[in-house]
Amino acid sequence: MVAAVNDFCLSFRLFVCGGWLRVAAVVLAICAAVSCASRGLADGTEEDYYRIISVATSKATADSRSANWKPAPDGLALEVSGLTILDDKRIAVSIRKGEVWILDGVYDDPPSKVSYKQFASALHEPLGLLKLGDSLYTTQRTELTQLRDTNGDEVADEYLTVAKGWGVTGNYHEYAYGPKLDKDGNLWVTLNIGMGLKGDMQARTILNPTLNVRQARWRGWGMKITPDGTMIPVCAGMRSPSGIGSNAAGDMFYTDQQGNWVATNSLHHMREGVFFHHAEALASMNLPGSPIRGITEVPNGVPVPQAVKQFQQLKPPAVWFPYKKMGQSATDIMLDESDGQFGPFAGQLFIGEFTQASINRVFLELVDGQYQGACFPFRSGLASAVLRLAQGTDGSVFVGLTNRGWSSLGSASYGLQRLVWTGKVPFEIKEMKATATGFDLVFTKPVDVATANSSESYAMSSYTYLYHSTYGSDEIQTQDLAVKTDRVSDDGLTVSLAIEGRREMFVHELIAKGIRSADGEPLLHAHAYYTLNRIPK
Amino acid sequence: MGTMLDHGSNFWKPLVIHRNNQMPTRRHAMFGAVLCCVLWACTPVSTTAFAADSVSPFVAGFERFARHEAIDAASGGRLLVSELSCTACHAVSQNSLQAKRGPVLDGVADRVSPEWLQQFLLSPSEAKPGTTMPDMLAALTHDDRQAAAKALAAFLATLHKPFPEIKGSGINPVPLEFWDRGNFQRGKQLYHNVGCVACHAADPDFAVVEIAQSPIDQSLNQLDADEIAELGLEHVARKVESIPLPNVASKYTPIGLTHFLLNPEHVRPSGRMPNFGFGAVEAADVAAYLLQRQTTDIQDAAFRTAGDSSVLSDSESVIEAGRQLFASLGCINCHSVTDFKGSNVVAKPLAMLDFESRKNCVGSAVEGIPHFPIDKVQRQMLQQTAASAVRNKLNSRDELQARLLQSNCFACHDRDKLGGIGRFRRPYFETVANVDIGDEGRLPPALTGIGKKLTVASMKSVLAGKTAIRPHMHIRMPVFPTAATKELPELFAAADSIGSQPTEAAVFGNFKSLATEGRALMDAGCVQCHTFKGETLPGTVGVDLAGVTDRVNPKWFYDFLHNPSLLKERTRMPTFFPNGISQNKDILNGDTRKQISAMWAYLKDLDRQLVPEKILVARNQDYELVPTDRPIVLRTFMPEAGTHAIAVGFPANIHFAFDAEKIRLAQAWRGRFLDAQGTWFVRFTPPANPLGDHLAVFADSVPFASLIDAKQVWPADAGAAGYRFKGYRLDAGGVPTFLYQFGNYDVEDRIQPGKQLETQQILTRQFKVVPRESSVAEDRSLWMRVHQGKELKLTKSNSCTNDAGVVVTVVKGVDGAAELRRTAAKAEWIFPLPKTGELQIEVQYSW
Repeated sequence: MVAAVNDFCLSFRLFVCGGWLRVAAVVLAICAAVSCASRGLADGTEEDYYRIISVATSKATADSRSANWKPAPDGLALEVSGLTILDDKRIAVSIRKGEVWILDGVYDDPPSKVSYKQFASALHEPLGLLKLGDSLYTTQRTELTQLRDTNGDEVADEYLTVAKGWGVTGNYHEYAYGPKLDKDGNLWVTLNIGMGLKGDMQARTILNPTLNVRQARWRGWGMKITPDGTMIPVCAGMRSPSGIGSNAAGDMFYTDQQGNWVATNSLHHMREGVFFHHAEALASMNLPGSPIRGITEVPNGVPVPQAVKQFQQLKPPAVWFPYKKMGQSATDIMLDESDGQFGPFAGQLFIGEFTQASINRVFLELVDGQYQGACFPFRSGLASAVLRLAQGTDGSVFVGLTNRGWSSLGSASYGLQRLVWTGKVPFEIKEMKATATGFDLVFTKPVDVATANSSESYAMSSYTYLYHSTYGSDEIQTQDLAVKTDRVSDDGLTVSLAIEGRREMFVHELIAKGIRSADGEPLLHAHAYYTLNRIPK
Repeated sequence: MGTMLDHGSNFWKPLVIHRNNQMPTRRHAMFGAVLCCVLWACTPVSTTAFAADSVSPFVAGFERFARHEAIDAASGGRLLVSELSCTACHAVSQNSLQAKRGPVLDGVADRVSPEWLQQFLLSPSEAKPGTTMPDMLAALTHDDRQAAAKALAAFLATLHKPFPEIKGSGINPVPLEFWDRGNFQRGKQLYHNVGCVACHAADPDFAVVEIAQSPIDQSLNQLDADEIAELGLEHVARKVESIPLPNVASKYTPIGLTHFLLNPEHVRPSGRMPNFGFGAVEAADVAAYLLQRQTTDIQDAAFRTAGDSSVLSDSESVIEAGRQLFASLGCINCHSVTDFKGSNVVAKPLAMLDFESRKNCVGSAVEGIPHFPIDKVQRQMLQQTAASAVRNKLNSRDELQARLLQSNCFACHDRDKLGGIGRFRRPYFETVANVDIGDEGRLPPALTGIGKKLTVASMKSVLAGKTAIRPHMHIRMPVFPTAATKELPELFAAADSIGSQPTEAAVFGNFKSLATEGRALMDAGCVQCHTFKGETLPGTVGVDLAGVTDRVNPKWFYDFLHNPSLLKERTRMPTFFPNGISQNKDILNGDTRKQISAMWAYLKDLDRQLVPEKILVARNQDYELVPTDRPIVLRTFMPEAGTHAIAVGFPANIHFAFDAEKIRLAQAWRGRFLDAQGTWFVRFTPPANPLGDHLAVFADSVPFASLIDAKQVWPADAGAAGYRFKGYRLDAGGVPTFLYQFGNYDVEDRIQPGKQLETQQILTRQFKVVPRESSVAEDRSLWMRVHQGKELKLTKSNSCTNDAGVVVTVVKGVDGAAELRRTAAKAEWIFPLPKTGELQIEVQYSW
């Protein structure tokens, strides 16, 4: 074993130098850190339906928040910060220390012969990766960069700046994420709010004296970069927008994370001139190019429904993720485009969850032209914090992991795993749709009519949050709601619930522990949370 | 039995995974077999579980020490008085005799199965062998007992209280319904690793990594029982009984047990069960393990045969009868219930008790009073000592020992040859990653002389759970309620210190100027085992010396460094001063006192000091960027080059940083390049500082500008001046060419080491400025600023030096009439550029 470790150190030095290298034994050793998938919530377990395959996971010896954090001594610090699919054998990943690697053999099961090749280096904390044309695109702290290999040696020799110009004070929290592509060929980048700006950092900020908010340029904004390289500020009020993604219609969304001004994690539709929540983003409101003007006051300490009424530019999220229940730090957004290769949720969004090392699922619908919808737990038990998701050519999902700087569940500090549908269909609430009288639940399998009709099978409550500058919000104005089953569809797949007393702008929490499938199975996940911004007419 | 003999060498040990593949030697196996017979004869079969058929209350310190006369009878008796909660009814004034009391019963209906409660009330010691809960119904007839238990259980089943909300945060994951998601395997691992098995029984199937036996254990293994007795080693050799657990699965709901593990004090304010600081998921994991494990400790037969008595009554009258019984039996004396109407039952003061009478709590069962099924030894000690215990005021030593016995600190800690982990539990205590740093690296520290060693403040901090200096141990120091520990630091200090502690100055003299020497001394040996501010030599784990001067007393530090084994038997801490003589004559002339003082000085100032050189060197190997055959690029934050810095290091040991925001060559230096740790792995993204020397600072803004005339101010803002950074291209040798747009020109800017100029290394910079098609015909007025400084001096017609000694030489491409101009703040050397066409410009920098 000692010899093997030495061999590995040697081989790592080799592949750092850029040569292709087969590292089968090493990856096997890394894979030995098996993911401890936690038990599912029902009779069947999550792993019966979605299997986790570890490509490479590692445990650092230092705590994830240690000031002296260092990677495991076993080689590449695979803190995956960006993921893009190259073909049916290879993917490219960016890692937080600033490199891009191409991994070959990652679809193998077990992935025992993965090879690693360094494609790019010297990037400043890249937090996204996208293959587009003959290039890879990544967002560094200071710019959106195109990486090109012009001489065919599969190593980037051009690091071309596609867009820059957002403020960078040197504050750690000024992460920049992306890019992701929209239906028109634009690249999207989101910019974190800086935190605790001190000393010299202040000099790099701008002040909005009316609102008395200060941040560097475009901090807390969503930016769109057109194919000709023009950067357009689109929407503002983001706090920590680490996930960007398109839905099936090609509309762009981002996730936010609980903190100041942000009651709990959330999913937002990015569209022009919209403000989401973090007031400090308005420091850039009066810059040339800003589509937001004329905000002179931001309410502070009022319930969200009231804030939305009072504050015209403030638009509620399409989905709130109730804190702890639906995770503690939402990250990447991935559209299931596999047409069923990833199970029964084609066209839905999957959302990474950092702290709980898991993945959630989102159903969206348009009501009066605005997106809203429900979130559901999907899969827990990943080896570390989930930061990135990308769907492979076979429908399986690559999961990029890294928990440094915060904390997460799981046995590892960072790595890469793959989630594969086993072919078995779990009994789940596939869709939760708002209706004029209640909600329609669409299940993945026919339901047992007796339990579906029993009001004992369901519990529902609704609540909202406070919009305020302090960190996060409790659920407020909680009410329990009586659930009555109106109708079960002939195919047994849709159950229409009638609910009295629903409230617009409130989260409606459903726990359906009593319902059974026609085969007698309980739900794999009995919880669903619908953000009812509007009640359909 | 036969099987056991065949595997005799292992039967008493936990299942062991051999780290190497060596088979045990023959000699080993033989000793094992002999030992097996010896121990077989004198120890119970179960690993370490308290015998399931015992009815007498189990008090850990009593069973381990008093029963075997390892402490005196008075101490044993006193311990029973507090742990059996005698003083909850029988008044007494001494603190050390305060009743332990039982669990808070608020919310018991949500936490504990009411059926189990009913069984427990029917026969406490059957449902929970070893319980210190007395049988309150012992004197009743069978039918009355059944009815009373049923009524009490019915009442308890009404005591609902929501579980506390567990706060989640970025550092505390709290998943949905976490109490239902515990993982058995992880729970098993935690149970056996963090310290549960210091008091409770281990799972015989649990596999531990084999750890070398301590010399004492080795010799014990070679002695028979008589020899052990002759040598007075019985206390060390004896197996320590485990504090029995009830049938956890029958008793607890998953949510109840998980919340109990998260905060035991909430339910048991006495803190006999301490808080291990579990996260929500960890608590759920341990709960899952305890609820699901196949335990043979306690037979559950009683429950299965209980028949209809286990059916819980919800009749109002039964509940009310239970409430009244709860009051009349004095349950409230030990169990608090918020808003319960009823007062404490008052019994005779302890001092007035007549132990000769059989009609009391510890005699035969009497209706209306508790019945403790204590055994003969327990009764004797109680009788002998209870009365005197009340009268005699304890000295600080005995007071301290009483507290340590009550909280069972001795389960983990050895003090004055009493207690400690014990030889049969040691294998469960491992060093993280199984690094071998001896018992000190895996077992809880001994408390012998601890009052001399630790400052009172640091003891308080440890007890409050604020100081965890041993992250290399799997076992955790749990937190006990403040009430149980608040007096301990002063008691330790009083019991151990002879007189007052000498001051720092008295011990070390004038030490403050010696930190540099102290740092040098660290490399002699300290760095081999110790951590400094979280930094270590690779593969090293050990106590972090940051803060040690706040933790330990100066005198102890001096004495320990002087001769470690005098203060700590069998320590791995080596002697650096054999016979008081330093082995290192090069530092401070080998003066022992000065050297120890220097170490204190360095450690006291560690916050501001560099870590020891050996650690620094090792660390730099991981993070220092050393260009060898190609340039190395690092994008980072730099104090001079700003937040858009692109640093480029060359094998020629001359390096520069380009500022991609202001579009300027910002800085260059020679020697070592950069350390990348902050950029790569440090959360708070500290700026990278050049490691080398001969730092030179260059332009404060862009190289080219369109000026109306030579008087126009040079633009400070690249964006406003029409610049746009476009990235860089690497050539085959890895040298970057920076690309930027300036108005209608595309600029390529390449900086690299030039041919050495005399003895100086220089940088050569080549510009290529290409007009875009649309601007070919433009009549332009382009200028290049070649140099700047507070002062500038032309040394040749094509060479200029500034006040900082940076020389710029124009090699080619600029031939217009240079202007040496001056503003209030600075001098500038600017050149007009040719009016048309592509430009190729080359300059050199030396300094």
